[in-house]
Order: sequence, then structure tokens, then C-alpha cells
Amino acid sequence: MRNPLHKRLPREFKSDFGKYLVIFLFIAGLIALVSGFLVADNSMIAAYNEGFEKYNIENGNFELMLEADDELIETLEQEGVTVYDQRYVNEAVEENDSTMRVYKNREEVNLPCLMEGRIPEQADEIAIDRMYADNNEISVGDTVTLGGNQLTVTGLVALPDYSCLFENNTDMMFDSLTFCVAVMTDAGFESLGEDHLHYAYAWKYDKEPADEREEKEVSDDFMKVIAENAIITNFIPRYANQAIQFTGEDMGGDKAMFILFLYIVVVIIAFVFAITTSNTIAEEASVIGTLRASGFTRGELIRHYLISPLMVTLLAAVVGNILGYTVLKEYMVGLYYGSYSLPTYETLWNGEAFVETTVVPFVLMLVINLAILVSKLKLSPLKFLRHDLSKRTKKKAFRLNTKIPFLTRFRLRIIFQNIPNYITLLIGIMFASLIMVFGMMFGPLFEDYAKEIDASMFADYQYVLKAQMDTETEGAEKYCVATLQTTTDKYPTEDIMVYGIEDDSDYVDIDFKEGEAHVSNGYMIKYGLKDGDIITLKDKYSDDIYEFTVAGEYEYPAALAVFLPRREFNEIFDKKEDYYSGYLSNKELDDIEDSYISTVITQEDLTKISRQLTVSMGDFMVLFEYFGVVMFLLLMYLLSKQIIEKNAGAISMVKILGYSNGEIGGLYIIATTVAVVISLLLAMPVCNYILRWLFSSYLYTEISGYIPYIVSNTIYVKTIIYGIASYAVVAALQMFKIGRIPKSDALKNVE
Amino acid sequence: MFLEIKGIKKHFGEGESRVEVLNGIDIEIEKGEICVLLGPSGSGKSTLLNIIGGIDNADAGYISIAGEKTAEMNEKRLTQYRRKHLGYVFQMYNLIPNLNIKENVEVGAYLSDNPLEIDELLKVLGLYEHRHKLPNQLSGGQQQRTAIGRAIIKNPDILLCDEPTGALDYKTSKEILKLIEEVNQKYGNTVIMVTHNDAIKNMADRVIKLRDGMVRKNYVNESKIPAAELEW
Repeated sequence: MRNPLHKRLPREFKSDFGKYLVIFLFIAGLIALVSGFLVADNSMIAAYNEGFEKYNIENGNFELMLEADDELIETLEQEGVTVYDQRYVNEAVEENDSTMRVYKNREEVNLPCLMEGRIPEQADEIAIDRMYADNNEISVGDTVTLGGNQLTVTGLVALPDYSCLFENNTDMMFDSLTFCVAVMTDAGFESLGEDHLHYAYAWKYDKEPADEREEKEVSDDFMKVIAENAIITNFIPRYANQAIQFTGEDMGGDKAMFILFLYIVVVIIAFVFAITTSNTIAEEASVIGTLRASGFTRGELIRHYLISPLMVTLLAAVVGNILGYTVLKEYMVGLYYGSYSLPTYETLWNGEAFVETTVVPFVLMLVINLAILVSKLKLSPLKFLRHDLSKRTKKKAFRLNTKIPFLTRFRLRIIFQNIPNYITLLIGIMFASLIMVFGMMFGPLFEDYAKEIDASMFADYQYVLKAQMDTETEGAEKYCVATLQTTTDKYPTEDIMVYGIEDDSDYVDIDFKEGEAHVSNGYMIKYGLKDGDIITLKDKYSDDIYEFTVAGEYEYPAALAVFLPRREFNEIFDKKEDYYSGYLSNKELDDIEDSYISTVITQEDLTKISRQLTVSMGDFMVLFEYFGVVMFLLLMYLLSKQIIEKNAGAISMVKILGYSNGEIGGLYIIATTVAVVISLLLAMPVCNYILRWLFSSYLYTEISGYIPYIVSNTIYVKTIIYGIASYAVVAALQMFKIGRIPKSDALKNVE
Repeated sequence: MFLEIKGIKKHFGEGESRVEVLNGIDIEIEKGEICVLLGPSGSGKSTLLNIIGGIDNADAGYISIAGEKTAEMNEKRLTQYRRKHLGYVFQMYNLIPNLNIKENVEVGAYLSDNPLEIDELLKVLGLYEHRHKLPNQLSGGQQQRTAIGRAIIKNPDILLCDEPTGALDYKTSKEILKLIEEVNQKYGNTVIMVTHNDAIKNMADRVIKLRDGMVRKNYVNESKIPAAELEW
């Protein structure tokens, strides 16, 4: 015979429909979100990984100062590689001041994936990156003007060696707003001229290295061979190419965060369920006592009380997964396509996602509720019959000073009586606040960061020259720059800019001392450096090691950088005494030809990271913000509802005694209000601590470079206001509920 | 002897607040008897009933039902013992509010391998017409009938009733007592009923009076009358 107790369930769901619906929708929504993300992530990663073979992605690329002749190519190919011409032109797009890197149509390596339209066939046609086109609202059929040539966009493509639009491999962040890659016919390419032509080459190994270690060794050897035979200006093996690797690494990284997010929320919801069930057990103590006295086993009752949380979780997981595979997957894929220039994909069944979004939440719900039920139902039948549910032998009343006004003592008693509810509320509020602050912090952070960068820029223009050229421009100051790499294991290897600055520089205000280096504030913070520390850096293209003693900090958040006197820089890097790499200037240098200029760094370049993160994280952040509000509402509603329901008898009794609904609300609602406000206030420093920790232990491992940890106080104030506003809605509902508790409740079931 | 209660002692509290609730209780009850336990508040009658029912432990002595001693049972066996042999009726009906009357009775049936026929029992209880109603749609007497139905459906050897009429008016109380009597006659269960209503002793086969934790009187009622004729 089926346990007849289970027949209660439909009626229970019906009578407490609001509670179950809210929990169901929340879990289903959450699972849909995570499942959608995981399915999209998995499908996109598969498409990305398949792309290496499907689109024949290079093993690396290099750039030479001069064009490689056949003899050089032959020499290089003797190293067990095939070299492909991948020359490109960087041209400014006249319509929107962005940079377009144009390649010839590719037929052997780094093959384009056509997303829309067709590959160019005429000289005045171009196919451009799909994501850049989306961000700049360019469609097939539109025109773009490059170097005075008006070109028709015939297609939108994804180039597999630019799944992430990094203009330079040393950039902190990709840029899909003002940087684009494109392909043209050979004739079209030639028509762009040679002013901005880069002699770039890709290579593929004849025999793929067995692992990354071997790949590094082989590529290091190959680089030495190129350096011996030509002037090399850039060398990026595939494993170090952010434009290829960043997408794969980033997609994997987000996954762990999403799953963790799901589990934390499920655990909180499981505790909410457990508290609800505990209160039901307290309410039904006499019935449980009778059933146990009649011979019902503890196991039968545990199984019975477990059914509703597990059913809700299972149903939510099924609905969540259906939504995840359909609506949410499309949304998440859209987010990915908004960040990365990925090829087309096919939706893949993801068994792991099923386990993570269905089995694990179910097991978490089971374990937490089972643990609490086992503990609650451990008592003897007699204790249930006597409503003596305390495990302690004697429950002593908490003494309160009688000088405290009566109503305050009453509220304190309510708080003490509901400590488990309030602890869950506190944890939930902390988590919801964390999500919210996280969702809101990045907009202002990027703005503040851009302002900081702007304020601390050396000069309006920072020229890097290909060859030394004198200038007559007033105020232009020579400086040196080199790129070294970190050697610590704390974060993945990243580039450090080493600057050689004039002793009495007009642009960089540092009082240099012999043998000591100043370090940018971002470098100091990210790596936890202090004065006197020795930093060890290495040359990217050789095994040379450099050590610098930190003498102080210099406010330059735009990059991880080391500052030396120019004289000392030239000594350390074995340069001539008068060597320089470029100029710092507040005016444009009109007297140096473009062909001698390697790069001009402006404020626009330095704030690239904030612009890109705002675009690619914007939608995610809004999602977090909404989620935080929903979580506030859900937890506050469920837990305050529990408190009112648990005290229905007492509320009814004080009504009989003559208290008005307003006065009762003042007792029960204000007690919870105090708990909510205290929880919100406590949550803010905790959020600050956790986010700071997340920055140093997670974000800094994901991005190269530095973003300062800044959370504007207004974000905390906004979060508290959101929290209080959410609670105000819930409190109004609870006031209504208090009004509806009949006076007869106090007289029912009194033994 | 079907039910043997031997040397039962029980105390509550420690030190100055220690109270000896049962001070060596020896009782024997025959199968099929209606036994009424009488006594003032605090006399130990409910505690004794709970010990018989295996939901409380004695400090000393033992309870033996058909040769099985409850003191020797672990918790799991005690649960099985209650499941197999006992039916409980309390002063408060303790029905499950979101199960209808028939389903509340089914809760008892679920515990037995060989339960009574449910519709027939509902008719005996006078609840058949109300079987689809929820407990809060019924009177106190009808709810107590349901509680009796839930206890009796599994046809227990012993029906333990703790103040079954304590919350009911005179007329309803008599109806409940008649029902208990009818159940006893129809199904042959041993009934042990705790009450402080002296008049109820008249329907019993055996009357036991407790005071201060001791048996003051224990006799077979030679002048037993039907429950319908009880007056108080």
C-alpha cells in the first residue's frame, strides 16, 4: 500500500501555492540560466576546438621588418614548418575612427568562417568580422571607407586566429568596438597600398608537438632561427596568442563561476526549505507524535517530508533544463557572440551540464533537508505529543533586562525565537548583496578607471618609433621602453613595460636614485610588492634575466610598468648612451613620417579595457543585478512568511487581547525589519572583503594587466536601498497576512 | 496472561524536583477486556499508558504483551511492536488536516498487513457519508471517531485511549464510549482507557484506580453496564 500521507502533497502544494511557486520559479529560472549557459558554453567550446582543425589554425605567427624572400622562407621551412604569407594592412575606418586589419582572402591557413553573405569577389568588396559589424551596426551591403577606398561589405566572417579581437598580443583586453579584421581579394588588398603594410607570416608544424612544453621548446628554437636570419618585430606562438587562446580560456573560466553560483543559491534555497519543514514539523508535532506512537517509523516520516523539496527541485530542474536548452541557450550564445568572434556552432547534448544542473542540486537539496529532518525527527513520540521539541533537557528563558521597554523586549523575543530564520536571511542577504554589488560595480569602476588612466597619462601622445628620428616639436621628450615578462608563479606570465625616463622629465615625475626602480601602482597592488622588494623579469625572446629593486610606487594604472632613469635603462639593456625608443609629447609630432612610427599610444588605447569590458560584460551584469533583487524578494518573502505563520497562534491571541493589526505588525514586522537592516549593513563589509578577494585570487589570474578594485560607496548605498525596498514590498504583504489571521486561531488545538 | 505489568517504576526530574510518578505498578489484563485506569491528575495513569504503549520508558519493571517484553526491545523493534499490536487514541484527535476522513483512516491501515475493510469500518463509525470531508468540516465527536477509526483499522491487539472524551460534551462522549465498546465487542481488542471520569468505570471489565503512583484498587467489575446507560 502506498503511504497515504503522500496524498497530502497535492493539497499542501495547493494551500501553500505561493511559496512553492516562488521557489519553483526561482530554482527553474536559475537552472535555466546555468543550463543555458553550460549548453551554450559546451557547444561553443566544441565549435571553437573543432575550429583548430576545421579552419586550419596556425601554430604561430611572426612579423618581419622587411618582406621575407624565397630563400628565407626556404631556410625557415627547413626547421620542420610550413610558412604562409599572412601580410596585412592596418587601415583606419573613416566612418568611425576604428582600425581595420585587412588580409588577403585566405585559402590555406586560418580559413574564414562565413557567418553571413559571401566572400569578396571584386576589388571593391570586403568581408569583415561579424562581431565588430554587430557592435558598429554594419550590415551586409553597407560600405566602409579604408584609405580613401569605398568598399562594399559582402559578408560577415569569423577569422579563427581572431576569435578574440586583440589588436596587439600585449593588450590587456580585446577590442571589438574599434578594432576589426577583414578579408579582401588579392587585387583589393593591393589597392590599399603599402604605407601600413605589415609583413606577417603564419607557420604550421609539419609534425605537431606532443605537448605544450615541447611546443614551447620548438617555438623558442624556431624564433632563434628567424632572429638569426631576419629582423623580427613580432613573434607569437599559438599557445601565447591571446587572439586565439583567450576565448577558450575565458569560456572555461566562466563555467566554474556559474556552477559555483548555482550551488550556493541551491544550498541557500535548501536551507529555506529546511526551515519551512522544521516549522511544519513544529506545527504538526501532535500528529507526528500520534503517527510515531501508532507505529510509523522515523524513516517513513523523513521520506514523506523530503518529497516536497525534492519534487519541487526535480520539476524545476526539468523545466529549467528545457528552458536552458531552448530560450536561455539562445540568449547565452548571443552573449558569447557579443564577446567573441566565434564560428557557427551546433547545439550539443551536455551530460555534464545535466549532472551539474539536475543531479547536484537534487543531491544538495536531499542532503541538507535529510540532515535537518533526521535531526528534527530524532525526538521520541512522547516529546512530539508534548510539543517539547527542544533537544536540550531544559529550555531556559533568555533573561532580558526589565528596564528595556516591554515592546522592545517582545521584539527581541521574536528575534531570539527565530534565530535560524534570521541566520538564513543574513546569509541569503549577503549572497544577494554580493551578486548585486558585483552586477553594479563594473560600470562605475570602468568609468573611474578610465578617469584614473586619463589623469595619470604621461602625455597626450606616446610615440613608439621603428627607428630613431629627431623631432623639432616643442616639448617632445625622448624615452625608452622595453617589454619583459614576469617570472613568478602567482599569476600567468604577463608583460611588464620597462620605461627609461629622462632624469628631470616633464612628463613622469619621479625622483630616481641610483640602482632603484619605481613600479606602477597596479603592479605593486596586483603582485603585493613593497619598497625594497626585488622583482625578477625575463626577456621574452632570450633567456636574459633582469632584477630590479623597488624604490617606490608611481601612479600609472594603465599598465604594469617599471620606471628607470633613461641612462640606466640603456646600460641595463645594453644600448648606446643616446638610445631612445620614442617620444612623450603633448603635441602631435608632425615632422616624423608615418612609416617610422610603430605605434602612437593615446588615452583611447589605454582605456580600451574599460570600453570592451563594458560592452562584453554589460548584459551579464544586468542579469546579476536583476537576480540579486529577485533573491532579496524571495528570501525575505519566504522567511518573513515563516515567522508570521509560526506565530499565527500568538498573533491571534494578542488580537484577542485587544492589540490592533498595526500594533501587531509593529511587533512582528519591526523585529524582522531590524534583522533585515542589520543583515544588509553587515553584508556590505563582507561583500567588500569577498569581492576584493575575488579580484586578487580570480580576476587577476584571468586577465593580464591590472584593473583597480574600486567599489563606489554609492553602489553599497544603492544595494541597501534595493534591499530595503524589496523588504518594504514583502512587509506590506506580511501586514496583509497578519490582518487575515483570525482570532479563533488562538483557541484551536490548545491542549 | 495477555498483558502483564510488573513492578513498573518511573520518576521525573532530579534532586529537589524529583517526583516518583509510578511506584511499583503490578497489573494483569486479560485479552479482550475493557480496562479503565482511573485517578486524579498527576496520579500517573497517562504515564503508565505511555509505558504500555512503548513511547516512554520505565525506570524499573517490565511490560509483557503475549510473552514479549517491551523493555528488551530496541527502538526499531519498539516501533514494530507499536505498529503490530497497538492503536492509540488521544484526547486531542491529532488528525492530519489536509487528508480527508477516509485518508486519515487509511493512514492507520497502511501500518497493517491485514487491515479491516475500510468502508465497512467507516460505516461502523458512522463516518461513511463524511468520508470525503476534511477534519475541520466535522464536529469534535466525528473527529474523535475518525481518530478511533485510524487506531482500530489495523485491528490492533490493544487499543490505548488517553482521555478520549476529555474534549467532548456529555452526549458526544457517550457516543464515543459506545463506539469503543462496539469496537471491542466486534473486533475483540483489549481496550485500556485512561480517564478521570469516575462514571466510565461502569462500562469496564476491569477497573484500576491509581493515586500517587500506586494502584489503590484493581478489581473486576461484576456490575458492568452498557456504555449507552452510563450517566454522569
